[in-house]
Amino acid sequence: MKRILAFLVGAIMCISFVGCADKKNNSPEVEPGPDFFPLTEIKDGRKNIYLIVKTLANNNYWEVLMDGAKDSADFLDCNVYVSGSYAESDWKTQERLLGDAISANADGVVIAPDDSVNLAGKIDEVYLAGIPVVLIDTTANTDNYDICYMTDNLMAGQKAADEMIKQLKNNGVSDSENIQIGIQVGQASSQTVIERLAGFLQFWSKHAPDSWEILHDIRCSNGIPETALEYAEDILENPQVKGVFTTNSGPTVGFAKALKNNNRTDVVFVGFDYSDEMADIVNDKDYHASTILQRQYDMGYTGVESALGLSDGISVDNKFIDMGVVVVNKDTINQADIQEILQHN
Amino acid sequence: MKKKQNKDITYEIARNLSFFKMLVIYLIVCLIGVAILLLNFNSLIRNHDKKLTGEICSLVTEKMNDSISYMTNSAENMSAALSSQNHNDLQALYDELSGGKKGSGYISIGFIDENQKIYASETEIEEFSKWELLEIAKQAEPVSISAPYRSGMTGQPVYTMFADFTYDNGKNGYLFLTYPLKEIQNMAYTDSLSEDTEIWLMEADSDNIIQCAGSDNYSIGSWNNAILAMQAQIDDDYQPEYADWKAHMTAGEDTAGITYEIGKKTYTQVYAKIDFMHGWYVVVRIPSSSLSAAIQQFRTSVLLFLGILFIATVIMFVMSHIRETEEKKMLENLSIHDPLTSLLNRRAFDYTSSQYLKKSTKNEACLLFIDVDYFKQVNDRFGHDAGDKILVDFSAALNELFKENSYISRYGGDEFVVLVRSADKSEISSKLDALQKMAGDIKPCDDPAIYGDFVLTFSCGAATFPFDASDVKSLQSAADNALYIVKEKGRNGYEWYSKNK
Repeated sequence: MKRILAFLVGAIMCISFVGCADKKNNSPEVEPGPDFFPLTEIKDGRKNIYLIVKTLANNNYWEVLMDGAKDSADFLDCNVYVSGSYAESDWKTQERLLGDAISANADGVVIAPDDSVNLAGKIDEVYLAGIPVVLIDTTANTDNYDICYMTDNLMAGQKAADEMIKQLKNNGVSDSENIQIGIQVGQASSQTVIERLAGFLQFWSKHAPDSWEILHDIRCSNGIPETALEYAEDILENPQVKGVFTTNSGPTVGFAKALKNNNRTDVVFVGFDYSDEMADIVNDKDYHASTILQRQYDMGYTGVESALGLSDGISVDNKFIDMGVVVVNKDTINQADIQEILQHN
Repeated sequence: MKKKQNKDITYEIARNLSFFKMLVIYLIVCLIGVAILLLNFNSLIRNHDKKLTGEICSLVTEKMNDSISYMTNSAENMSAALSSQNHNDLQALYDELSGGKKGSGYISIGFIDENQKIYASETEIEEFSKWELLEIAKQAEPVSISAPYRSGMTGQPVYTMFADFTYDNGKNGYLFLTYPLKEIQNMAYTDSLSEDTEIWLMEADSDNIIQCAGSDNYSIGSWNNAILAMQAQIDDDYQPEYADWKAHMTAGEDTAGITYEIGKKTYTQVYAKIDFMHGWYVVVRIPSSSLSAAIQQFRTSVLLFLGILFIATVIMFVMSHIRETEEKKMLENLSIHDPLTSLLNRRAFDYTSSQYLKKSTKNEACLLFIDVDYFKQVNDRFGHDAGDKILVDFSAALNELFKENSYISRYGGDEFVVLVRSADKSEISSKLDALQKMAGDIKPCDDPAIYGDFVLTFSCGAATFPFDASDVKSLQSAADNALYIVKEKGRNGYEWYSKNK
């Protein structure tokens, strides 16, 4: 009888516990960004513009943008406070900073949103509080802002695809050759990143030969440099990969390093933004690297200028200004217009 | 001893189908039944979801196609009206129309002349160049629609519709109207849709998607890519099905559906082709919980009911088995034991001993036929109660001496038969000697004044197997013969069977 009871208890327990397993969800913790701190000398009687950048974490792109904002503030005689998160995934820090700007009665807010969707509500709050809102670098999914200075990322993605196709052909890849293209993106929730990817794929689907296949295993490094390098190394293990595309600075640096580490001179690389690693590989004649450069100095400069103008009651006609991009490769790097942009990088 | 005897006698009944086996079979049958039921339910839910999502998708697509058709008709009608007016100055016409009140939801209007000069704002002219809109205009037969792009004027996604028209005595040009993408999103959206319903526009070639409806209002209008936003999220098991679903779209088929899981959540997703927007499709995704919540609730209730039924049946099964076992035990006891002495009765002894000897052809045994001497006189002298006491005490003595390796029975009245599973005569003889001593101590009552000089004796005939006989009957007969000799000699003794006697 004991055996029967044990059997019954066991059977009932088996039935009861089926499907109870649960996966543990681990997400990396990021240190919240700091409170606003002065970017310029703070003087009484001047207007206060609050600049929120995507990340403060040792990133050349945002340092250049802040240089533009500082030069603009110095020229136009206003105070600029700045802050941002330490990782582009930390949109909550930006949400907090937007609240701080409202509390501080800012004369204008210039923000590069970490997350176009999640921050839209808070941007609404700032705008509806009567504070001029200028978006830079990335738009937000709301109409409640005054003007947006950014790269038209859909178009920038198309230019990147155009450059990839040109360079692959320059590199001797024929239309009938079966090759694969690896892609790595930074923050998947960033509208900037997504639009660049969408633009790239839109152009690619219309202009690339059918035998040039996009790998569907698109990697997302979430703004973490180590992950970006690891994924880049993974993708380059595949010898059929003859082209790699990255949507923003983090994965671009990752691939610049990985290509050099693996001596993959047969791979055409098209990335975004400028860094020491990218400068190194673009200037190396053995490699085929191009980068799409934005005019972030101009975004910072114009963003502060525009916020100040709006606070003085100057209206704008268009809500969206495409700042345009330039394609930098070993053939164009010495052109005057590109050298001027690179001076700020 | 009793247990061993019981086990042997019920062996035949028990060996074919034990309760445990029956319980396992019952459990397996129940599990198979539940599995089939679950499979059927899941299939029903999947088909229900796919069908319902397909219907919702068809409705949404039909609504969008009707609205786009209305817009294209408006553009065609406007184009026809302008053509009939035969304008010869497009700049004047543009100035007049672009400065006036916009109708039918468009945000701007303009023209392209036969030399491909664009009559539009500077921002729009730049956009024509950026997005190669002239190429789209040339596809107008009579209407074409561009892919969505971001408007410089509004900062929001827009699309432009082109319609061919004639001016200045038959010159061919194009009228264009730019609409916010929200117009299409609004067409897709219906208040009655659940918050969980997601609707996208999807371009088959690039996998790019634009969200038209979803739980988060702020995500509406945003670009994404299906490889990242859909495919990468879907569980690995469903990747081949997703690839197949996408292949249908790439092949230009009108519609296809798929059911897949992300984590533990099941979704049904259907696409349908949109007229006039070449390469673009509307995709509707609905989580199963939203559609088949009622069926799932019903499934849970049925499973709960079956679970309770199963537990109740098992409990009844076990309880009935326990009761049956107890009754059987009682009946078995009654049928195989002598109620006075609890020794085996004659029928049980015959069966048990014959089974033992059949199975023990290589073993030895000894059968003892024992009669209590002058038992009738005990009854007559001391009464039946005293006689019963004598029998019980004598049985106890037998049990004490032979229980280790024997079947002991009360064969009838004062006759006892013992089958010893050994033929060691010296050992058995010494046990019989001991039995004689023990019998001497058995008294019909406790009062010496009553029983006086009473001494209990017995007579015993013994025969061995297989030496004296090869089956029970002959063994009993041999032992009986030996007993007869003892009785002839005046009782109170035992005799081994010998063929010579």
